[in-house]
Amino acid sequence: MTGRLDAFWTVFAREIRGAARNRTYALLALALGLVVFGLAGTGNGPSSGYVPTVVDVLLVVEVVVPAVAFAVGYRSITDDAVRGTLDVLATYPLPPWVYVAGVYAGRAVALLSVVLVPLSILGVVVAASAAPDTMVFATHRGVDSPLLFVRFVTLTAAFALTALAIAVAVSALADSRRRAILLALVGLLIVVVGADVTVLRAITGGLVDVDVDLGTILGLSPSSAYRGLVFETVLYVAFAERGEFVSVPVAAAGLLGWSVSALLVATLAVRGRRA
Amino acid sequence: MTDAYVRGTGVTRTFGDVTALADVSVEIPGGTVVALIGPNGSGKTTLLRILAGLLSPTDGEVHYEGPSATRPLGYLPQEPSFRPGYTTAETAAFYARLADDDPSELLERVGLGTVPDRPVEALSGGMTRLLGIAQALAGEPPVLALDEPASGLDPVMSGRVFDIVEALAADGHAVVVTSHDLPLVERAADRIVVLDRGSVVAADTPAALRERTGGPLHETFASLVDAGDDVAVRTETNR
Repeated sequence: MTGRLDAFWTVFAREIRGAARNRTYALLALALGLVVFGLAGTGNGPSSGYVPTVVDVLLVVEVVVPAVAFAVGYRSITDDAVRGTLDVLATYPLPPWVYVAGVYAGRAVALLSVVLVPLSILGVVVAASAAPDTMVFATHRGVDSPLLFVRFVTLTAAFALTALAIAVAVSALADSRRRAILLALVGLLIVVVGADVTVLRAITGGLVDVDVDLGTILGLSPSSAYRGLVFETVLYVAFAERGEFVSVPVAAAGLLGWSVSALLVATLAVRGRRA
Repeated sequence: MTDAYVRGTGVTRTFGDVTALADVSVEIPGGTVVALIGPNGSGKTTLLRILAGLLSPTDGEVHYEGPSATRPLGYLPQEPSFRPGYTTAETAAFYARLADDDPSELLERVGLGTVPDRPVEALSGGMTRLLGIAQALAGEPPVLALDEPASGLDPVMSGRVFDIVEALAADGHAVVVTSHDLPLVERAADRIVVLDRGSVVAADTPAALRERTGGPLHETFASLVDAGDDVAVRTETNR
């Protein structure tokens, strides 16, 4: 009898094999590389250090990485639904959550390859071209360090995985490829600006006390949470004067909460198709 | 005839204001082929999907009463489609691994053992359907629900598909199949359920149904279903 772990690996391996054969992912990585290198080169960040480079690319990464995540995930489940594969899989010992986990994990490997390779190369370029003090492996205030860039890359990976989870949920809700595109655009807008706008509306509408809750409520928006974590753990570390932009625990929990909630929605949507 | 592997009792299914099935009762015994026939829109596919557990009835009950199995039921959709970019063997391996089966053996059983390296998008319609049947067989499910397994196929391929259907029943599987191909149904089915407008209008052996008019099965079929319906069946005379 096959176990759930075997079933997970079977779905996961199918996704990995599909991604490895899909040249579009290589194009996505190339496009992302061109964008971040173009921005970093324009801002002259690599010759100045890791933190200046992060400052150069942060704003665009906030938008482009979710877009790449949605490109990777927006049809991940829709295609199986349209082909009737979900109906067929419903007759196998494959619980919906195992199927969603396998799809998500496989696409996550593809997405992280697309996102991390260009950013890692950028980090190497900074190491090769920046001033000597960037080689100091220390993170105390006022000192640039490769560890700060590693933190940035790690946070970007977490943000990408959150966006992918939302994309997979959107894909599970769509019943056609056309609807998948429309829902993906809506989901992308929510991730990139929608949640931020909601937070601002809550603030300007007096629903939250700015003095008390601003750092907390910003952590509830995926992009604000990511931006806040980068500010708190990468940029502010290198500057003497700093102010608390976001609550780090809330922001981390926010990204995790969005991811888990989205995967739960995807699982319920797949289960709902079987009724 | 053996005991029923799947039993549907008083099955009703509505989609909004449309009643697709009304109080349908049917049983699928092991070692037999039960064919669901009827005009387009008569509820064949809806009933098959409900029997397969893919669709919940609005009212009534469906129970699996067959032997214990990792995968109790295999399903072939009306238009099987597989993820492009994979070979026949890789596709079979995906499903086989989910059900702890041997992909090579599955392909051999449906006659696709000679094309393991062919991309699924390069398979003919008939071969795609055979791959779908191979998928349905993964894990040796006691019950097989096949939706129009010979639809759109040439006579040779259609006959081959129904040969497999007969062999499966001979092996002890309970096979429920929808089809418009009455000659093949007449040849392979042990029992035929005729649906019209969501209701069972007849359920009997092919021989007993033929006796109702004394002619071939399509004459009985035509006498049972509403003459105003858009009947789309293949018969001996128009094959």
